[in-house]
Amino acid sequence: MPDADRPAGMDRRKFLTVLGATSGGALALSGCSTSRVEKLVPYLVQSEDQIPGIPTWYASTCTECEAGCGVHVRTREGRAVKLEGNPEHPVNQGKLCSRGQAALQGLYNPGRVKTPLARKPDGSFGPITWDDAIARLAGKLAPAGGKVAVLSGAGPGSFSDFLAEWTAALGGKLVRWTPFDHEPVRAANRQVFGLDQLPAHDFANAKYILSFGADFLESWLSPTENQRGFAEAHGFSDGDVAKFVYVGARRDLTGLNADEWLSVKPGTEAALALAVANVVAGGNPPAGLGSALAQFTPAFAAQETGVPAAVIERVAREFAAAKPGLAVAGGIGAQHAGATELCAAVNLLNYVAGNVGQTVRFGADLPAGDGYAGMARLEAAMDAGEVGVLLVHEANPVYALPRASGFAARLAKVPYKVAVGLFLDETAAACDLVLPAHHALERWDDLAPRTGVRSLMQPVMEPVFDSHAPGDILLLVAKKAGGLLGKFTDASWEARLRSRWQALAAERNASDAGEFWRGALQRGGLFDPAPEPTQVSLTEGASEVTYTRPAFDGNAALVFLAYPHPMLHDGRGTNKPWLLENADPVTKITWHSWVELAPETARRMNVENGEILRLTSPHGTIEAPAYVYPGLRPDVVAMPLGFGHTAYGAFAQGRGVNALDLLGAPKGEYVAYASTRVAAEKTGAWKKLATVEGVPRQLGRGIAEAMPVAAAKQKLSLEEYHLEAHEPEHEFNPPLEVQALKGWSESQQRMATKGDYTRDLPKWGMAIDLARCTGCQACVTACYAENNIPTIGEQEILKGREMTWMRIERYWEDAETPDQPPSARFIPMLCQHCANAPCEPVCPVYAAYHTADGLNGQVYNRCVGTRYCANNCPYKVRYFNWYKYNDLAWPEPLNLQLNPDVTVRARGVMEKCTFCIQRIRATQNQARVESRGIRDGEFTTACAQACPSDAIVFGNMMDPESRVAAIKQDPRGYHVLEEINTRPAITYLAKVLHPVEA
Amino acid sequence: MAAVAHPRPAGRKPELEINQTHADVTRDVVATLSQPSTGYLMLLACAVAMFVAGLLTFLILVKDGLGHAGYTPPVFWSVYITTFVFWIGIGHAGTLISAILFLFRSPWRTAVYRSTEAMTVFAVMTAALFPIIHIGRQWIFYWLLPYPNQRWLWPNFKSPLLWDVFAISTYFTVSATFLVVGLVPDVAAVRDKVTGWRRAVYTFAAVGWQGTDNQWRHYSRAYLYLAALATPLVLSVHSVVSWDFASSIVPAWHGTIFAPYFVAGAIYSGLGMVITLLIPLRKALKLEHMITDYHFDNLAKLTLLTGSILFYSYSMEYFIAWYSGSLFEQTTFWRRPFGSMWWAGWTMIICNAFVSQLLWFRKIRVNLAALFVISIFINLGMWFERFVIIASSLTNDYIPWAWANPNITWADWGILLGSFGWFSMWFLLFARSFPIVAIQEIKEMIPMPRRRAGGHH
Repeated sequence: MPDADRPAGMDRRKFLTVLGATSGGALALSGCSTSRVEKLVPYLVQSEDQIPGIPTWYASTCTECEAGCGVHVRTREGRAVKLEGNPEHPVNQGKLCSRGQAALQGLYNPGRVKTPLARKPDGSFGPITWDDAIARLAGKLAPAGGKVAVLSGAGPGSFSDFLAEWTAALGGKLVRWTPFDHEPVRAANRQVFGLDQLPAHDFANAKYILSFGADFLESWLSPTENQRGFAEAHGFSDGDVAKFVYVGARRDLTGLNADEWLSVKPGTEAALALAVANVVAGGNPPAGLGSALAQFTPAFAAQETGVPAAVIERVAREFAAAKPGLAVAGGIGAQHAGATELCAAVNLLNYVAGNVGQTVRFGADLPAGDGYAGMARLEAAMDAGEVGVLLVHEANPVYALPRASGFAARLAKVPYKVAVGLFLDETAAACDLVLPAHHALERWDDLAPRTGVRSLMQPVMEPVFDSHAPGDILLLVAKKAGGLLGKFTDASWEARLRSRWQALAAERNASDAGEFWRGALQRGGLFDPAPEPTQVSLTEGASEVTYTRPAFDGNAALVFLAYPHPMLHDGRGTNKPWLLENADPVTKITWHSWVELAPETARRMNVENGEILRLTSPHGTIEAPAYVYPGLRPDVVAMPLGFGHTAYGAFAQGRGVNALDLLGAPKGEYVAYASTRVAAEKTGAWKKLATVEGVPRQLGRGIAEAMPVAAAKQKLSLEEYHLEAHEPEHEFNPPLEVQALKGWSESQQRMATKGDYTRDLPKWGMAIDLARCTGCQACVTACYAENNIPTIGEQEILKGREMTWMRIERYWEDAETPDQPPSARFIPMLCQHCANAPCEPVCPVYAAYHTADGLNGQVYNRCVGTRYCANNCPYKVRYFNWYKYNDLAWPEPLNLQLNPDVTVRARGVMEKCTFCIQRIRATQNQARVESRGIRDGEFTTACAQACPSDAIVFGNMMDPESRVAAIKQDPRGYHVLEEINTRPAITYLAKVLHPVEA
Repeated sequence: MAAVAHPRPAGRKPELEINQTHADVTRDVVATLSQPSTGYLMLLACAVAMFVAGLLTFLILVKDGLGHAGYTPPVFWSVYITTFVFWIGIGHAGTLISAILFLFRSPWRTAVYRSTEAMTVFAVMTAALFPIIHIGRQWIFYWLLPYPNQRWLWPNFKSPLLWDVFAISTYFTVSATFLVVGLVPDVAAVRDKVTGWRRAVYTFAAVGWQGTDNQWRHYSRAYLYLAALATPLVLSVHSVVSWDFASSIVPAWHGTIFAPYFVAGAIYSGLGMVITLLIPLRKALKLEHMITDYHFDNLAKLTLLTGSILFYSYSMEYFIAWYSGSLFEQTTFWRRPFGSMWWAGWTMIICNAFVSQLLWFRKIRVNLAALFVISIFINLGMWFERFVIIASSLTNDYIPWAWANPNITWADWGILLGSFGWFSMWFLLFARSFPIVAIQEIKEMIPMPRRRAGGHH
C-alpha cells in the first residue's frame, strides 16, 4: 500500500519513534513531558565521549564550602547524576560530605535564576536578554567612576584574581567574604605566631584531641579532611584509639563523638585552655612567654568554667603525655566575643605541648576571604556614599549577617545593585539586575584552596538554564564598556583560564603545555606534595595571651548559641531537599528550625518537645519549637543557623526562623554567634517536630555495641568481653538462657545452611566499623543520590514515612551516675541482606526473594504492596511508597539528576537498600566482557564510597582475600539482633570506648 | 414432613415448643417479605450512603495511594487489616450456630440460624474486600491468585497471605452454598404464597422444590454433609487468618496460642454481632414468638464461654511473655496496657475479658436491653482486640529507633464505615427478600399436626 493511501494512524516507523520517545522519556528524561521530544535524531557521528548507557566521569572541584574538595562527576547521556570524591585530591582523598554531594540539587534547582532579570518600574523583576543585561551593567560602570564595589564569595583561584584585576581596573573595591571565614583563628595566629595563615591540622596522627568548641566534623575549616583524619586517630585500626575531649557549652556532632565532654560555662573555654597549657608547660614555660600562664591555675579555670580542677589537671596530664596531641578552637558555635582570645590560648597550648609543626602545620595556608573586617569596610563605604554600583557575586549578606547589622537598609541606598549568582536569594532579590551564573559543574574555573593545590573545574554538561560563567560576564561587560576595562580582551573566560595555565605550565617547565593541561584536567588539578611545615616561634604577642571573663549582650537568663546546621551550613543548603530531609545528625529534626533546651532547663520551665518558645534578645524576637537535648548546658539555649529564608526558592522560603535575628550588629572583626543573652518564654502553641527519631534508647537490645579500649586491645570478642565483665551477653538473658538459645540457634543455623548457594558465586557482604562512624550521614546523602530516593517533605516526615534506605540511629547511653549526661552511639542501619531473611517467605508474590549471590532482592514490578515484608523485618529497613512520591519529589528540573541505572519506584510498592545492585551488575558485566573475575575493591556501594570515615567496607565474603572478609574476622564483629537468627550480611564492629573517668 | 434422618431432638425443651400451626408460621415469615416500611427504607438508604462513602474513599486511595490512611511506619498494617480480621471473625458465629450446633443437635439454633448464616456470608463478603483495599497496588490484586499466565509466575505458597486467599475463598464458597441450600424449601414456601412477578422469581430460586419425600431425603443428607464440611472451616479459617500473624517474627504475633485464641475470639465476636442484629431484627419483623429469651440465653452462654476462653488467652499471653524471658515479648506486653497506645489495650481487655463476665448472671442474659449494650461492647472490644494485636504490636518490635504510633485518619474511618455500610446493605436486602427465619425448621418445632387442616404438608 503506498504511503499516501495510508490512513493517518500508526505505521511501523511512527510506532518505533513513539516507543523510543516514551521509553527514552521514561529513562533518561524521566519526568520531562514527552511532548518536548519533537524529533529523535540518532548521532550521525557518535560523540567520542558519550556512549549511551556508559557513564562518563569528569574531575572537578566542590564549591559548597571553602575547603575546596576534589570531586568526580558521573555523567550519563550528558547529565551530571552523581558527585563523588576525587581519590587523587589531597584535600578529601576520595570522600565527600553531604553538602558536597548535594551540589547536584543546586545545579538542577528549580529555584535557579533562568534568564537575566531586571527590576521593572513597578518593582517586580522581568526577564531581559543577555545583550540588554550586559549593556545595562556596562552603562552603569563608566558613570560610576571609581565608585564601584564588588562583594564576592568565590574562593581563591583564577577567577578571584581576575575579579580583583577587573575591579582594580575600574578603581573599585573588592571584598571577598563568606559568612564562616574563621577570622578569630587567623587573628590568633597573627597574634601568637605572627603568621596570617590558617594551618593544616593532622588529626590522623594525633594521640589526644582537645576541641574547644571547634566543630571540625561539621563546618570547621575542612570538615571532610578532618573527618578522614579523625577516623584514623579515633578508630581502632592501628590497635589504639586516640582520646578525644570536647570542651564547650553544647555538644554538636563533633562533641557527641568525644569520649569526654567538659561542659564549660559559655565563653570560658579560654580559661580552661590556658590552665591546661599551664599544667602542660609545668614549671618552665617556653622562652618569650614569661609568666603569662602562671595565673591560669586549674583552680582558677575551675572557678571560671565550672569544671572541677581535678578534671582539668587530669586532662592536661593526659594531653601532655600523648605525643603528639592536637588542640583546636574557633568553631562557629563557640565564636563569641572572646573567640580570638580562645584561639590564641589554644595556639599557646599547642605550642607548649609541642604540637606545632607536628599536628599543626603552618605553611600550607588555607586562604580565606577578607572576613568580616572586609565587610565592615564595605559597609562603611556604603554608608559614606562611596558605592555607586555594587556587584554581589555568590554572596548573600542580607541573609547571612544579623538583621541588626542593617545591611539590607544599606543595600537599598546603593544606586545600582547587581547580583551575579545562581539563585534569587535575599540579596539578589534586593538588587536591580540579576545575572544568572553557571553552576560550578557548568563552567571552567580553578580554585586554590591551599598552598600547593590548584584544583580545576570543567563544564561537565550543557548549562541547565540560560546562564553564563561569571568570568564571561566580566569579559562581556569589559567588551561592552571598554574604557578602563578595555584591556580585558580575552575571547572567553575559558581562553583566559587556559592562558593562565599555559603560564603555569611554563613556570613548571612542562614540555607540552597541552599535555600539562590535559593531565591536570584528568587528575582534577595540580597537586604538589604538602609543604614541609614552616618553623614557627612565639611572637611578642604571645605573652599577651589572656582570658577575659565573658560579657554578653543583654542580661536575660540564658545564653544563646547560634551554630551552623551540619547540613545547611551558613544557609546555602536550605534550598536542597536532600539536605533538608536528611536530618540534622544531632537532633534528628528535618525541614524546620528548633530551639534546644537542656533537660534541666526544660524541667524548670515545664517545657516538652514541640512546645513553641519565644526567644527575646535585645535585638529581636523569634519563635520556634523546643527540642530537649541532653548535650546542652542548663544555662544556654541553642538554635541552628540556616533556616528562615525570605527568598532563595520554594524549598527554602518561609522554612523556620533565622537565628541571626536575635544577634546584634557585629562589633569587631567577626560576627559573635554566641555572645547574646535571651529570655525564653512559652507561647502555649505547639508544633509536632518533624523528627526521624523514634525511641533513642537501646533498651538492652545490644544494637550499637561497644567495648573498652583494654578489651579491644586484648582482642576479646564481644561475647568474651561481656563474660569477662560478668555481664550477660545481652542484658536481658541470664547465662543459662544464653547457652540454651545458643544451642538452639546453632542447630537452626545448621539447618539454614542446607539451603546455601554454591560457593562459586559471590556472596556480597558489608562491614561497618562503629569505632570509625561519626554519624555524619554523608552515606545517607550518597544513597539518596545514587538510588533515586524521593524526599517526601515535612508533612510526610511527621507521619514517619521517610524513605532513606539507610539511616543513622543515634542512641543515648545513660552514664553510670545520673548527674552525668548520656553519651551518644551512632549506628548506620540499612537492609542487612539476611541469609535467613524474614521478609522473603511472607511475600505472597515473590517480590522479595533471595538472589543467588546472597542479596535480598526486591522486584518492584512484582510487588503488589501487601507490606507484610516490612512488618516482618526486624531491622525496619523497608520503605513503602505511600503516595506517588515519584511525581512529587523531583520538580523539574531536579528530575534530571535521577540515576538512569536505578528504577524510580511507583507508588504502592516496597523498596529498600539493594547493596547498589546496579553497581554490582555493571562491574560483573565489565568483568565478563574482559573474561575475568571481579577484583576486590574494584567497586563499592555508594554509602561506602562516600563515607569520609571509611567506616563502611563492602565486598565479596566468599573471597578470602577480600577486605570485607578480613574485617569480618575482627573480634569486635557482631550482628545486630543475632539471636533471632536472621544471619545478616552486615557485620558491625563494636565501638571502642575510653574508660569513663570520675 | 421429613421422615428421614433429620435430627429430631428427643427431649425437646418446653421453651422451644411453638404454639402455632404450620400455616401460621408460613404466614408470619412470609409477612416479613411484604412491602417495606419507611423505617426499613431509611435504614437501607443509610447503609447505602455509608457504602458509597467507603467506595469514594477507596477510589481516592486508588488514585493517590495509601498515604491518606494513618499508616505510620513501622505500623504497616493498621485499621484495614484490623477491620478485615474483625469481619472474618464475625462470620464465624454464623457457621458455628448453623453447622456445629446442627451436628450437635442443639435445637435452639433453629430460630436464629438463618440470620446468622446470612450474616456469615455477608461478613465474609465484606472481609474479602480488604485484601484488595489494603494493598498498595489494588489493580493487580489478582496476582495473589495462582492463575495461569504467560510469565510463568506462581504465587508463593509459603506466604501466609496466600493461605489467607484460599481460606477466605473456601469459606465464602462453602458458607454461601450452605446458605443457599438451606433456603430452598423456604423459598418454595414463599413461592406458594406470593403472586405476580415475585412468584416467578421465587419459582426460579426454589429450583423446582416440591417437598416430596425423595427431595427431603436428598435435601437432609446434603444439608448434613454441608454442615460437616463447614464445621472444620469454623476452626481452620480463623486459624489460617491467625497465622498471618503467628508465622511472622513480630513479638506478640509469633505465638503458638494464636490459632485457638483467634477462633475463640472470632466466635465471641460473631456471637456479639448476632445478638446486636437479632434484638432489633426480631422486633422489627415481629418474630418475638419465634426468637425468644431462651435463644438469647443460650447465645449469651456461648458468648460467656468464648469470652472466658479469651480471658484465659489474654492471661496466657502475659504469662508466656514473662515466662519466655524474651525481652522483646515482655516489652510489647508491657507497652500494651502501659505504653503509648494504652487506651486501645484497656478497651480490648475491659470489653472482652471483663464485660463478658457479666453474662454469668441469668438476669442479665435474658434482659435484652442489657444484652444489647453488652453486645455492642463486644463488637467494639473485638475490633480493638485486632487493632491492638496488629497495630499496637507493630509500634514496638525490635529496633526502638523505628518505633512510632499510627494515626487514624478520615481514610481509615471512610473504609471502616463503608465496610459496615456494605455489610448492612446486603443484610437488609436479604432480610426483605428471603425468610430470615427458617420456616421448615421452625415447623419441626411444632407438635405434629393431628389431622388438622391448614398445614403446609
